[in-house]
Amino acid sequence: MDKRQPIVTVENVTKTYGKRGEKQTPALKGVSFQVEPGEFVGIMGASGSGKTTLLNILSTLDTPTSGSVRIKGDDVTKLKGNALSDFRAKRIGFIFQDFNLLENLTGRENIALPLALQNVSAKKQAEAVDKIARTLGIEAVLDHYPTELSGGQKQRVAAARALVQQPDILFGDEPTGALDSTAARELLNTMDQLNHDEGVSILLVTHDPFSASYASRILFIKDGQIGSELKHGDKSQEAFYQEILETLGTFQK
Amino acid sequence: MLRKLALGGLKNRFRDYAVLFSGLVIASAVFYMFMALATNTSFLTKNSPVAFTPFIFGFGAVLLAIITLVYIVYANSFLLSMRQRDYAMFMMLGAKGRKIGQLIFLETVTIGILATIGGIVIGMVGTKFVGQWLIHTLHAPATGFTAIWLPAILWTLGFFIVLFVFSAIYNASKLLKTPMMALLHQTQTPNRIKQRKVSFAIQIILGLVLLVVGYYSMANIAVFQLLAIPLALVTIVAGTYFLFNSVFVALISLMKRNKAFAAKQLHTFTLSQLSFRIRDYTRILSVVSILFALALGAITVGLGFTHDIPALANQATVYDVTVTSPNAATQAEVNKLQGVTAKQQYTLKSDANTVYVNQAAIDAHPLEIKANDKGLNAPSIKVTSHNFNKMIKRYPTAFGVFIGNNRGKQMKVADPATFAKLGHTETLTTIKVRDFNQNYDTIQKIVTMQQHQYPRLGQTNSDQKFAFYAVVNGMYSGLAFMGFFLGLAFLAMLASTLMFKILSGANDDQSRYLMLQKIGARPQTLRRSIRQEIGALFLLPGVVGIVHVLFGLQMFKALLSQPYANLLVPFGLFIILYGLYYLATVWIYQSIVINKDLAAKA
Repeated sequence: MDKRQPIVTVENVTKTYGKRGEKQTPALKGVSFQVEPGEFVGIMGASGSGKTTLLNILSTLDTPTSGSVRIKGDDVTKLKGNALSDFRAKRIGFIFQDFNLLENLTGRENIALPLALQNVSAKKQAEAVDKIARTLGIEAVLDHYPTELSGGQKQRVAAARALVQQPDILFGDEPTGALDSTAARELLNTMDQLNHDEGVSILLVTHDPFSASYASRILFIKDGQIGSELKHGDKSQEAFYQEILETLGTFQK
Repeated sequence: MLRKLALGGLKNRFRDYAVLFSGLVIASAVFYMFMALATNTSFLTKNSPVAFTPFIFGFGAVLLAIITLVYIVYANSFLLSMRQRDYAMFMMLGAKGRKIGQLIFLETVTIGILATIGGIVIGMVGTKFVGQWLIHTLHAPATGFTAIWLPAILWTLGFFIVLFVFSAIYNASKLLKTPMMALLHQTQTPNRIKQRKVSFAIQIILGLVLLVVGYYSMANIAVFQLLAIPLALVTIVAGTYFLFNSVFVALISLMKRNKAFAAKQLHTFTLSQLSFRIRDYTRILSVVSILFALALGAITVGLGFTHDIPALANQATVYDVTVTSPNAATQAEVNKLQGVTAKQQYTLKSDANTVYVNQAAIDAHPLEIKANDKGLNAPSIKVTSHNFNKMIKRYPTAFGVFIGNNRGKQMKVADPATFAKLGHTETLTTIKVRDFNQNYDTIQKIVTMQQHQYPRLGQTNSDQKFAFYAVVNGMYSGLAFMGFFLGLAFLAMLASTLMFKILSGANDDQSRYLMLQKIGARPQTLRRSIRQEIGALFLLPGVVGIVHVLFGLQMFKALLSQPYANLLVPFGLFIILYGLYYLATVWIYQSIVINKDLAAKA
């Protein structure tokens, strides 16, 4: 296998809502891009730009009207039934704005869930949970229920659950949206560290320029199309942040 | 405006209200149906051989009232949880607390009154149909039974309206005391299973002791008399609760601690689902197991009574009917009998004081009598010329049915030569049928026609099996009727309680199952998890309920000949009904919480 094979390849994806005969609402009008291994890609856009639709399609929760999405070479739009469920469990990690933790399970149980679904042995589950918990700094709160955790801790638990299977890519849907600025900064630093040290590929959907400034590349989406692209390059984060703000200022007009 | 807001809530969450409303309607319908029996004292006394039946019904009514109360409390908390976000929103928009209080009051009482009226109407229809069907199949006279019974209407209306007014006051005061933010963001906090060993031990011992006391008092109802019933009720309800509270909780934490088991698939999740709402569940499971026991027990006892009717009627006579020299009309009825298993005709001759039967005939075809001093299941005795004199001395009353219009005369065997010389020839026909109940109407006609034909039989024909059967049937079918009726009523109540409880959690579960699907749980794994979770909620009260019934049948040792015979039919039927009900609940639940389209709910 080619080592430089892209993690995600999106080719000419369109999505139109509305059944035949009803009013057709195009949400995506031909989107194409790639995510390279170890890349941290940000996707920015205003409300209604189509970024949520795009993320749903990437994460196999929705299917495109046309076009293809390949994750490490596998066309995810063709998956069905158990193969689809297993793909979600093993190959992609997902963190959400509202954490989506099961409040009736402890942190440890939440994190172990994807492994349990694949019938991994109890011992291996415990080892994997402990390892990812160390990486994310949540060993102390593993036996707490989500209601007993702060927002930042919840999102770390959610991130641990997303990463415990060592997925091909981590999708984030506004993961800092419900966090205060300190917790948000900490989470982003952790994601950055995962990206740099562990080589985790990340795709982050956000409308927050500060979150986006952690990405190595940003795609701006408007009216269902990718309008422009920014690269972090060698710029300092402060300079990149300013650049994002400027781009947003002109892009939104 | 206020009314618009209150009733607007009804439109928005139709499915939830449909569950709530149908549950309340069923509860009030069952209450009405029970009250239609319990307050109809003339019906009860006429249809029951036991003097304290109205008393038993009184306790039944109290029990039903308690269970209804628990049910209404659940329904009410469900209603409140549905509406509190809306109410909080109104408050946020500037509605005054007093206005909100009125709104809640209006809504709760409106729902209550509508449901009660609907329940009474359905209860009337139900009482009529179920009543008619049972009266017909049991040949019960059911004197004084009416579907529309004013005291029952008043009791039901009164009871429910009082309950709903109190609920409304409670709802309003509770909502107004809770901080607005808590209402808007009500998150359910999990119950940590923190059980101290001491309290666990105390609960288990207390539960067992209470159950033993309850079972003991039921088994010794002869000693405790009427005290046995309230004693058993209180101790068994409390004992069941303690047992569920300790054992159920312990069972879950034990399974959770077994890492190899818990780590598989969704086991941890399923167990957490159960332990998450454990306090709620132990309460409702106790109620359900009591309802299960009452329903199954009532049906079993009802069936036991129907089994006893032929057994009791058989204890005095072998033949289902005997006919003396029938006229054409009677003969026509005799020919209509179905499933005749034995039919024998004898010739009788008589003089002024004696009736004779031919020795040859009786030796060829012995007459059969019951050893009627031996009680139920007495053996039948074949009477020939050899033992005739001994038997007629020992069981004189058993021979009356053989001599027809010659009642009061002595019966003797005559040798063929003597017999030939005698006059006044009559015939005696003895008939056995396979199923007395099936031929009930025909036999009734034959007996009445014979009494018209032979006026002397009018007073003395009461030793025919029909007479026994009619008396026993009149008494026991009344009891059987009550058993079936209550059994079905409790079953309906059980069904709605369990369904309601399970469905009221569906809203919270929807987001959990959606989450699980998003992180890659296969739909079939989710289905299995739901089957297991609901299965536990059905199985545990079912098992406990069956144990209650097995001990409870002790109470009926005095009333039923064999309370433990023929258990297979009622238990089997009940388990099948319960199983079907389980499958329906699982199906409904799965269709609510498992999503086909993930993105739409994302």
